[in-house]
Amino acid sequence: MLEEDQEIFITKGMVRADFDFWVGLVMDKFYDGLQEKKFIGTKCSKCGKVFLPPRNRCGDCFVKAEEFVDLPETGILKNFTVTTYKITERKIRKVKKDIMVGLVQVDGADTAMLVPIVNTNPDNLKEGMKVSVVWAKKLKGDPQDIAGFEPVGDG
Amino acid sequence: MAKVQPAIISCGFCEHASKRSDVNMAELVNEAVEDCLKKAGSIEWKDIDCVINGNMPAFEGANMPELWMTDHMAAKNKPLLRVTTGGTTGGSVCIAGYYAVASGLYDTVLAVAFEQQSCGNTTVGLSSVALGEISIFPALGYDYDRLKRNLGAGAAIGIASYQAMNYMRRSKATEEDLARVVVQNRRNAAKNWWTHLKMPTITIDDVLDTPYISYPLRFGMVCPASDGACAMLFTTEEKAKQIADIPVYVNGVASYSNETAIVGIDCAGAGQVDPCEQLGAVKSAEIAYGQAGISFPNKEIDYAEVYSPFPNQELMWVERVGLFEENKAPEAYRNGVSAFNGELPINCSGGVNSTNAIGASAMERPAEAALQIMGKAGNQVPKTVHTALGHGWGGAINFITHVVMSDEPQRKWR
Repeated sequence: MLEEDQEIFITKGMVRADFDFWVGLVMDKFYDGLQEKKFIGTKCSKCGKVFLPPRNRCGDCFVKAEEFVDLPETGILKNFTVTTYKITERKIRKVKKDIMVGLVQVDGADTAMLVPIVNTNPDNLKEGMKVSVVWAKKLKGDPQDIAGFEPVGDG
Repeated sequence: MAKVQPAIISCGFCEHASKRSDVNMAELVNEAVEDCLKKAGSIEWKDIDCVINGNMPAFEGANMPELWMTDHMAAKNKPLLRVTTGGTTGGSVCIAGYYAVASGLYDTVLAVAFEQQSCGNTTVGLSSVALGEISIFPALGYDYDRLKRNLGAGAAIGIASYQAMNYMRRSKATEEDLARVVVQNRRNAAKNWWTHLKMPTITIDDVLDTPYISYPLRFGMVCPASDGACAMLFTTEEKAKQIADIPVYVNGVASYSNETAIVGIDCAGAGQVDPCEQLGAVKSAEIAYGQAGISFPNKEIDYAEVYSPFPNQELMWVERVGLFEENKAPEAYRNGVSAFNGELPINCSGGVNSTNAIGASAMERPAEAALQIMGKAGNQVPKTVHTALGHGWGGAINFITHVVMSDEPQRKWR
């Protein structure tokens, strides 16, 4: 154990690490679609399962899933949570407005996406309610293009 | 001793290049898995009982990549293990595949190793490997700036330079001898479909014309950084006999952890005074040969793949694993013994010197050796191969793996 009056030798250094990720041709198509305000998924050639975000392989059938399908902007909120803390900030963690995050299954897709829920308050949220996408003001062809999903109608 | 005799029935590769930006990590791995399953005859993905995978930890900045690529490795709803031991990751994944079958727990096991180096920063990756060793220096009051300055000479090429100097002093090998190894590898790579650096017309003078990176290693002698994946399918002797034309029986495996390379006072590579001694390679080769019942490796082994990112290492390893007498490798290479049509062909796949997707490299050695026995290698040697060796090296010079395989199962009386 360290004694209280013991001196500690501290050294600081910086290591710069740049990382790139190749998204692959299938996800590339998905991001291109976002820029045109479109959801593009892929369909398994055997079981017909539709993946959004797309992947080029169905895990259940282990066959190609490279048929692209256009999907609507609406979906169903399958599950959600509400948090009052920011995990990205180290110092100021408490947020002024609660953050709502949910799993949204876009109509016609068999998988769900983890997205922010916006333009509503936590009391209105319930599982199975209808939601619709809110696009970012500036579309850049990256995940930030989906600003979030908001409830439509009475939910 | 193995409870069940494991056999390799198929090996798959994806095409290697410096930048496979057309695929993501999961799709890259999938290409190798598909190639492997395509060549596996009646074995389908559903017949695989267990999947083992591995790559360098976080070289691509992606921790736990196996979560991402489960679907792409035919691993959905199956046991999935990840193994990672630095440069020997591929060799360890291969050995883990062997263990899974040899133990009698699983019948058919898929082993997958990969690396997509273009995604990450290999030097940063390596420095995190070396961090454990380097971190003792500040504790000894070592000035951080000086440490940083000397790091350049302490990376992979640094370690290899000291090894090369040491080897050249021992064996009287010349720079020309090193260049000869490179020429042999790159020309072989040109005939193998999945390799990275294909140079069919390269000459010794071409190599010696390139500038030094760290004496005596020149730019033209150093391995590339590749994107690629490799997959191997293991199964039991009984199944293999039904499926494969020539099943490759794995008769001896050994891995050896040498004394850790405590980085010398100026990050000079190794605490070991002699980085060329490689007692670990000698010992583990002995163990693997012992299991396989091989008494005279230089006579009984028909083909060998050794892990040599740098040409001096190829000369060193073939001696340490008992294929040539000590300090006699350069002469043998001069006489063409190790050439494609020589008596003991070595690294006819092109070797690590031509293709280095780090995590996969040590698996590509036994995989290529197995393909040579099956007669299905991309650069198939003219002589008939009965017994072959796949060797791996990694860590900070301290991990070694050996896989000895043959077209005959291990004889029970041994």
